[in-house]
Amino acid sequence: MSAVLVQDRAVTPTPRPPRVRSIVSALGALPTFVLLLGAVYCLFPVAWVLVAATKSSGELFSTSTLSLGSSLVANLGELATYRDGVFWQWMANSALYAGVGALLSAVVSGVTGYALAKYAFRGRALIFNALIAGVLVPAVVLAIPQYLLLSKVGLTDTYLSVLLPSVISPYGIYLARIYAAASVPEDVVEAARTDGASELRILTSIALPMMVPGLVTVFLFQFVSIWNNFMLPYIMLGDDKLFPVTMGLYTMLKQGNTTPALYTLVVTGALVSVLPLIALFLTLQRYWRIDLLSGAVKA
Amino acid sequence: MTSIRMSGRGGAAPKLAPYAFVAPAVVLFLLVFALPIGYTVYLSLFRTEVKGLGLGKGSRTEVFVGLDNYWRALTDSELGAGALRVLGYGAILVPTMLGLALVFALLLDEERVRARGFSRIAIFLPYSIPVVIASLLWGFLYLPGTSPFNQLLRELSLPEVDVLSPTGIYFALANIAVWGGVGYNMMVLYTALRSIPRDLYEAARIDGCTPLQVAMRIKIPLLAPALVLTSLFSIIATLQVFAEPIALAPLTNSLSLTWTPLMKVYQDAFGRGDIYSAAATSVLIAFVMFVISFGLLRLTRSRAFGGER
Amino acid sequence: MRLDIAKKAAALGLGLALLAGCGGGAEEATDGPVELSFWAWAPNIDKVVDKWNASHPDTKVVVSKQAQGDDLVTKLLTSAKGGNPPDLAQVEYQALPTLVSNDVLADISEGAAAAKDKFAPGIWDQVTLGGSGVYAVPQDSGPMMFYYRADLFEQYGLKVPTTWDEYAQTARDLRAKASDKFLGTFSSNDPGWFAGLVQQAGGSWWSVEGDTWKVSVDDAATKKVAQYWSGLVAEGAIDKAPMYTPEWNKALNDGTQIGWLSAVWAPGVLKGNAESTLGKWAMAPMPQWDTSAPRTGNWGGSTTAVTAGSKKQKAATEFAVWLNTDPAAVEALVTESGIYPAATSAQEAQSQPPAFFPNQPDFYTQAAKIAATSSGFTWGPNVNVTYTAYKNAMGEAISGGTDLVPALTKMQTATVDDMKANGFTVGG
Repeated sequence: MSAVLVQDRAVTPTPRPPRVRSIVSALGALPTFVLLLGAVYCLFPVAWVLVAATKSSGELFSTSTLSLGSSLVANLGELATYRDGVFWQWMANSALYAGVGALLSAVVSGVTGYALAKYAFRGRALIFNALIAGVLVPAVVLAIPQYLLLSKVGLTDTYLSVLLPSVISPYGIYLARIYAAASVPEDVVEAARTDGASELRILTSIALPMMVPGLVTVFLFQFVSIWNNFMLPYIMLGDDKLFPVTMGLYTMLKQGNTTPALYTLVVTGALVSVLPLIALFLTLQRYWRIDLLSGAVKA
Repeated sequence: MTSIRMSGRGGAAPKLAPYAFVAPAVVLFLLVFALPIGYTVYLSLFRTEVKGLGLGKGSRTEVFVGLDNYWRALTDSELGAGALRVLGYGAILVPTMLGLALVFALLLDEERVRARGFSRIAIFLPYSIPVVIASLLWGFLYLPGTSPFNQLLRELSLPEVDVLSPTGIYFALANIAVWGGVGYNMMVLYTALRSIPRDLYEAARIDGCTPLQVAMRIKIPLLAPALVLTSLFSIIATLQVFAEPIALAPLTNSLSLTWTPLMKVYQDAFGRGDIYSAAATSVLIAFVMFVISFGLLRLTRSRAFGGER
Repeated sequence: MRLDIAKKAAALGLGLALLAGCGGGAEEATDGPVELSFWAWAPNIDKVVDKWNASHPDTKVVVSKQAQGDDLVTKLLTSAKGGNPPDLAQVEYQALPTLVSNDVLADISEGAAAAKDKFAPGIWDQVTLGGSGVYAVPQDSGPMMFYYRADLFEQYGLKVPTTWDEYAQTARDLRAKASDKFLGTFSSNDPGWFAGLVQQAGGSWWSVEGDTWKVSVDDAATKKVAQYWSGLVAEGAIDKAPMYTPEWNKALNDGTQIGWLSAVWAPGVLKGNAESTLGKWAMAPMPQWDTSAPRTGNWGGSTTAVTAGSKKQKAATEFAVWLNTDPAAVEALVTESGIYPAATSAQEAQSQPPAFFPNQPDFYTQAAKIAATSSGFTWGPNVNVTYTAYKNAMGEAISGGTDLVPALTKMQTATVDDMKANGFTVGG
């Protein structure tokens, strides 16, 4: 805090003696330094996963926390062959749940958000408020009733039981509505209507294409939240061939008193399971435009 | 939102179209949220009753008890204590996380800053790590025996710190949440900042404002709506805190399995198999969250939602 | 207008959902190959099941690996409520009354009663709950034993304690000789471990009198055990950090913990958690309260149960009996899953010591002798409540530095309150 105050005083227009000038240039690096400090804070635990994944189970508990081990390849091999490669099945399941769920979610959110932003109709406020209120109900609370209701229609322990609840995202709808309001100009819609285009056609060939950047954001948000979701698959799924990777790792960790937890496999699995998400970030970061939230600022 | 206007020319189509467009979401919402919520309320009015030893077939029956479960939840001292603990945890978490997010966002917005792309990704990365894994890795970093920090302190012959002590645990939990959430909030605030016209800053600089003054007098006030939004979502997430403490509980004596209200719900529903009182407690928690969110929005006059009501 | 319809539809849906009863029932599949789902957590259980599948083309068992114990009980309760449980499940002994009381498990006495002779009477009682039904087939058991680092005991000139007084003195001696080492830890996270110690001391938490449950979680024997550990914790003679944490694993590895009061399955855990200490451990009987009548308790151990919701109970029972009594199957369980079999003949058949204990060739001969001194124990219908109360109350007492005995009162109150709230008849 005091450093900031010094900086404040230093940037006065009066000429400065050389000593002050060197302080100023040192302070000029301060913002970069603070940011890098933040980056280190955030990366440090991730680096730990990287280090721990190189250790054999003996090394994990006998060597210093931050010293590299020698077993990364062996660990990866063991993970790949664990129970006939079930780990890859879990990864594929996660990709399916997150990929398909997020895609459907983006489409549903987009269509709903557009309708809520661009049409005035009876019940609009009620529908919007009800959808948003969904954020307030914790997933733990909903899990059992959702399970009991889905089991009445025989949908539990299927891909659908995890996919269906993932499609609806109150937050996604909220974002899509703001984005639609900001990015789809009224006169374009009006002009298309005058040309005799049907409402469905306006939606699919004008509004949705204009909303793509925003929908990509909804997709990414939802992808991460489904990928990381634990409660829903934990309750819905019994068959371990359907588990997403978070559940699978959890079963490897929770081995009970009589068998040792598979720490090395879990840590290696954690590393491998984070890689696709990092790759997704890096490739899609130019689409990762949370600025639709700042649409709220403008509105 | 002045742009929303009914079209007179479209005839019947625009009247039905919006309903058709919202139908999938509404149907899904009813199935996934409304119906289960209704079912939860229904369940909250019942409990099981056991006959005899409860070991024969069909010895458990469901009986209607009215608001009994609510009364018991309200008079449960552990629930109140849990709510207080969550308040303490939130008091550490929300200001720290949003404060850091704000600082990082403002710094990212400074022209002179280097390594921006790297910092942004790095700070954002923890958001993508599942809590199950996050708690495992923080467990390693927290436990005195495996913590590299304590190892360092030992080597320097300094007194060791146990962050898993009954007081330390608040900070230990808040730290995991800050670590996971600061990048997300930073991105929200940063993109909000980018939308502020640059010429505003230019004018201020010509007037002799320092970068700090620009930040304090121009950027932060203009960020207010985004700050309200991030605060609201952070508070909601805080009140729902569950996964981190439940994952850390096996590592320490300091965390009971009913440390937060939601953990108590989980314990009731899954540990004790009593979904009825869990349902009643859930309804109460959801109600409190609704009141708090509504109150916050009223206080800030719904600016976060763009005044679309 | 649409919304009204939606509302009505929702109300109708809810109504229908509530009217529709749970599925399940005992209709047996008549012909064609049967597929049985089996939820379990024992390592490599799939390989044992493969043996069944190879020799039984008509009944295919599909293993689904789950998180262990409490998590599995949770999922079983939920899936039974939803009406679609698996056909078979691995269940710990202490969870049986809870599951039976919730109508989750089927009475398989018809197909399984004949297996009675294969097991010690004390173990068989656990699956009948003292009645005429049979709710599971015993799989493995966990008689408690004392494990210690033979090399470090020698280095510090310690003798293996045979009584609890000696154990306490050994703990103190060790602290005096090496201030960074512990003989053991009191774990607030392992109620099963504490329950085993209580069994050894002769405690009885639940008992049945006619139609009434008697609950005495704070009985004299339990108090004696709590008092004993309370003293050791207070004077710092032993550690007080929970077991099964990364820190504890490290402590086993680097010799910070040089002893462990555990059960017969410990070699597998030590191998996984403290690989670097191969051949350095030795096993001895538990320290005793009364050397003239040596006893031990049980920690861990599980069964194979058939669910009430299964439509293939007959085939499932056949498999459960096969898995735990067929010599080839039990041998596979021992070699592949590393369990200590509940079947008596299999216990006697084990001649090789565990791979992690090459220095103790008579490991299983000794183990069988110790197992014969196991105390019986009756589990109640809400063990999970007692266990949760243990974790909360003991954790609080330890982190607050207070006596452990009052925590028993909290456990007792929590257990009785929960049973009364559910309408059980609880006697004093």
